Amino acid sequence: MDSTGVVVEGLVKRFGSFVALGGVDFVVPEGTVVGLLGPNGAGKTTTIRILSTLLRPDGGHARVAGYDVVRQPQHVRAVIGLTGQFAAVDEDLTGRENLVLVGRLGRLSKVVAQQRADALLDAFDLADAADRVLRGYSGGMRRRLDLGASLIATPEVLFLDEPTNGLDPRSRLRLWDVITDLRDEGTTIVLTTQYMEEADQLAQNISVIDGGRIIAEGTADQLKTKVGGDVLDLRVGDRARVGDAAATLAKAFSVPKTEITIDAELGTVLVPVQSGAAALVDAVRALDAAGVPVADLGLRRPSLDDVFLSLTGHLAEEPRPDAPEPRARRPVRT
Amino acid sequence: MRILADAPPMTVDARAALPPRRVVADIGLIAGRNLRKVLRSPGLIVFSTIQPLMQLVLFAFVFGAIASVGRGLSYKDFVVPAVLVQAITFSAMGSGVGIAYDLQSGMVDRFRSLPIARSAFLVGRTTSDSLRLGIQSLLLVGASLAIGFSFHNGVLAAVGMVVVVVLFGMALTAFSAWIGLAVKDPETVQPAVFIPVLPLVFTSSAFAPVSRLPGWMQPVARWNPITSAIDTARGLALGDKTLFAVSHTHLVTATEHFAIWWVVIVGVFTALAVHRYRVG
Repeated sequence: MDSTGVVVEGLVKRFGSFVALGGVDFVVPEGTVVGLLGPNGAGKTTTIRILSTLLRPDGGHARVAGYDVVRQPQHVRAVIGLTGQFAAVDEDLTGRENLVLVGRLGRLSKVVAQQRADALLDAFDLADAADRVLRGYSGGMRRRLDLGASLIATPEVLFLDEPTNGLDPRSRLRLWDVITDLRDEGTTIVLTTQYMEEADQLAQNISVIDGGRIIAEGTADQLKTKVGGDVLDLRVGDRARVGDAAATLAKAFSVPKTEITIDAELGTVLVPVQSGAAALVDAVRALDAAGVPVADLGLRRPSLDDVFLSLTGHLAEEPRPDAPEPRARRPVRT
Repeated sequence: MRILADAPPMTVDARAALPPRRVVADIGLIAGRNLRKVLRSPGLIVFSTIQPLMQLVLFAFVFGAIASVGRGLSYKDFVVPAVLVQAITFSAMGSGVGIAYDLQSGMVDRFRSLPIARSAFLVGRTTSDSLRLGIQSLLLVGASLAIGFSFHNGVLAAVGMVVVVVLFGMALTAFSAWIGLAVKDPETVQPAVFIPVLPLVFTSSAFAPVSRLPGWMQPVARWNPITSAIDTARGLALGDKTLFAVSHTHLVTATEHFAIWWVVIVGVFTALAVHRYRVG
């Protein structure tokens, strides 16, 4: 029996006739980050709510830091931090009061809770707003404070349910930095997201979830390799030479012309290649020899969007039409 | 940046069973948080105090000018205990609205995912609301005395009246909490709590003795929990003799009815609310 991290075995949850989870399995070794990647209604929030003891499963088992979520819920609560899709913070309290309240309910002494609150407010760039009531906070500030509340009692395992949902790009990057720091400190994290880029940036391992089942697992690289190799992305300096460039590259990499994508208007050529970075060198040599001017040349790995599309046949952002909302809740000015 | 690495070690083992001291501390923390919220909403305090004051003036002077209960009792003295019960009844309904806001804002999920006593959230809410109702009752009693209401039955009984009024409000917070947890949407909770309560207030002994109500209404009024609270409050404020003279009920009977209703309301709705809270 694994005593640490998170172990999920055959988790089943039904809401009426809707099967939210149809047997979910995954393992999060201690000190690692797993990204649960999937569209709305895939079962991400349901999984997190079961792991954080807010919901009882209809079947299967789950252990968090060695504790069974059904039989030892109070033990689980003592070692987890939870940040949901919307900031769960009190509008009428100040930032500091919010943190101290959660810290003390998490069984810190008053003094320790206050010290931890100050440290977290500093770390999350909220020190200036610490004594302001939350009504004046921006969405990004609320989410950082919410994350701070999940961290005040120093959890062994952290659950982040779409932590950057609805944030502007700048706030999202800031929150990513915080999560990266936590990861580097060795916190075990289960993160859900419907953003490919987010899973790629933050998680060491990714479990792709769709329709209440895990449909693929692995590192971002492994998942990308499943879809195929890299793509050479060329923009020629003279759009009239697009045809020449395509022919040169087809010959250089022995790729049939049908697999090459040409956009004459943009002057771009996309060529699938297997040789990784060496392909860049080969391409430059061949194009130079043929006298084709190069404006831009790059190697890009297939995005996780490509991965999701090839695994499920639909894009991650498209929700299942029959999926009910995990619960009736509206975001409150997040 | 080091976020968790510098954290001090836990001073208590959060996995240990909850000692009663912790349960009380958790209730205190949540009640304190609720009260802080009330204090930070000055508008809410002002309007929720002004509204019953206006009712007090309306019933004491406007209705007092046209209504009479006879037996040498002024309508003002007759109606003030009822207005108090009514004000606290309505005020207690705020419990469910507050809970619905906590559900909506995610605070309930936050509390449910913390290693605190399962009862702390609901008991904390009842505690802070009872305190709020107590302060409101004292304010209203002060205002009543200022406009000429008088207790006929001594200081101890007057204190007893306030206690009865607050106890009744406390019981009703359990009902309101259940509705709040079941309905979930704060704007829907408001009508959902008032629709069953409003007719009960008007089919009680609040504004006229039961014997003066329309015949069909009399049995409803006689077995109405609000009647039991009002008759008990009235008996304590005015004395058993006056109570019997206007309502043909003795204080002992009214108190018995009140005690039974109190136990039933608290028992049934606490069980329902706790169940709702557990299942989420």
